[in-house]
Amino acid sequence: MRALSLPAERKPAKRPAMAEALVVRNLSKRFGGLRAVRDLSFSVDEGETVALIGPNGAGKTTSFNLITGYHRCDAGSVVAFGRELVGLRPYDICAHGLARTFQVARPFGKMTVLANVMTGALLRDKTLALAREKAREAISFVGLSAREHVPARDLTTIDQRRLEMARALATAPRLLLLDEVMAGLNPAEIDQAVALVGRLSERGLTIVIVEHVMRAIMAVARRLVVLDHGQKIAEGSPAEIVANEEVIRAYLGTGYAPAASPGGARC
Amino acid sequence: MDPVTRRRSGRGGLWLALLAAAALALPLVVSNRFAIDVFIRVLLFAFIGVAWNLMGGYAKQLSLGHAAYFGLGAYTSTILLIRFGVSPWIGIVAGGVVAMAASLPIGALCFRLRGPYFAIATIATAQVLMLVFLKLRDLAWGAEGTTLPNLGNAPLMMQFDGKAPYYYIALALLAIGLAVTYGIERSWMGYYLIAVGEDEDAAEAIGVNALRVKRQIYLISAFLTALAGTFYVQYIYFIDPNTAFSFNVSVEAALVSIVGGIGTLWGPVVGTVLLEASSALLQSWLGGGHGGVQLTVYSLILIAVILWRPTGLIGVLASAYARVVPAGRAQAGEAPRDG
Repeated sequence: MRALSLPAERKPAKRPAMAEALVVRNLSKRFGGLRAVRDLSFSVDEGETVALIGPNGAGKTTSFNLITGYHRCDAGSVVAFGRELVGLRPYDICAHGLARTFQVARPFGKMTVLANVMTGALLRDKTLALAREKAREAISFVGLSAREHVPARDLTTIDQRRLEMARALATAPRLLLLDEVMAGLNPAEIDQAVALVGRLSERGLTIVIVEHVMRAIMAVARRLVVLDHGQKIAEGSPAEIVANEEVIRAYLGTGYAPAASPGGARC
Repeated sequence: MDPVTRRRSGRGGLWLALLAAAALALPLVVSNRFAIDVFIRVLLFAFIGVAWNLMGGYAKQLSLGHAAYFGLGAYTSTILLIRFGVSPWIGIVAGGVVAMAASLPIGALCFRLRGPYFAIATIATAQVLMLVFLKLRDLAWGAEGTTLPNLGNAPLMMQFDGKAPYYYIALALLAIGLAVTYGIERSWMGYYLIAVGEDEDAAEAIGVNALRVKRQIYLISAFLTALAGTFYVQYIYFIDPNTAFSFNVSVEAALVSIVGGIGTLWGPVVGTVLLEASSALLQSWLGGGHGGVQLTVYSLILIAVILWRPTGLIGVLASAYARVVPAGRAQAGEAPRDG
């Protein structure tokens, strides 16, 4: 595997090792009468992997949309790498080093895998040859090299998710927001995805992951933030969370199933 | 660049050279004025289709108001010619610049809308401009329009005795349009345009400023369409608001691209050849008395394409080519979709 030149490697870190990559403060969003996100605060250190979990409709995807500029928040602030993101458009936020995937993969169907990922790589340099090179690195990193010239619409679900990750990686992010990349995958595929997220983390990438597959969360996340009805109800290490009374009541249930509700949670 | 691409472009170059030679030789071989007239119309509408296709095909912003730019180009050069004695060769560029300037506020309004709402808004812009020029009696001759002064054979004023020079100008315009498209296809902009056309939100997630990309391609598309407008009035020696801002121009621009293959380099050319040739043939067989037949055939072709070949005739040709030449790839002409 060739080295993926993520910014964390490219630029020697000027900040102290444990600087905060993302600080969310008192974030709130209403949709009509529904308070989708209420007074949410959490922070993510550089290089850390944090999972957002909670039942369907808890506000996880809405939080992602608020952070990445797809929704405008009613109140609160989002600071990433020292810059306020509220009010910025999604492409500005991506240029600032935050890349996201979508809950339902959204590939550019008629483009090939390579062209999809090149489009992401073009953010940092408009030269096609260089973009092609960067794209190939990202594609090989997610294990899609064999399908480089396949139109994206012909990919299987897991390959479309891989493609989304490769496309996000090609933008050379510092912080990656993964929205349910493991939903609908079979156990073997989940293991592959877990390994992939682990490798990204090893490369120094900060990761925020929304996931329902508890087995996967326990494997990748050092810290969990639990949402219910738009509010944070708990935060802590996986061991603390599975023992937390309120989390068990609201989400996990007693003796949680390893692959609890893999369905698509639309927040 | 991978070897497949290189081989493909080598073969493509040969075909292109043959095609160009045939196109250049055509007026020398064909002397029938009606036939030349048909060829000029084919080239002109193929060019308008190419200009439309940049925005409508690649970025999937289905404009039905490109007559706005066609008309602005036509009026700018004509006003400059008649009121100020400026050569249409300068007027044609001035018209393009005016169209670019107009595309900015029009885009600012219309790009807030997506899908069918965008299309409807663009129709309105062309109609509004037509009404404005109907009222501009002093500057732009109002509803009666005007004929252009006949200067005889005056190449410097874009007027010629025979039809062949017009043919070559139209051919040059089409060549410019295709070259611009080719260049955009093979640059970052081609990737961004297709990404915006496929999924605007997903494109923004990877750093594409969709609004800016749409605005930029609209500028280019408007400029090129305006060139066609100037050429057209110089060719028919007449201008009025109904001709210059004709809804037919808007529809034809979209139609030839959709029939030929939306978002492909050669799609609008193939589409125009089929549609214009069929309509010209029908006209010559049936005479002018059967106006409805031509429209019916148009509609039938459009319905057939949408039902059976949504990718357009280019898709049919590409798969046929792939069957005949086993090594050839069905994706020929689709370079920006691949790396």
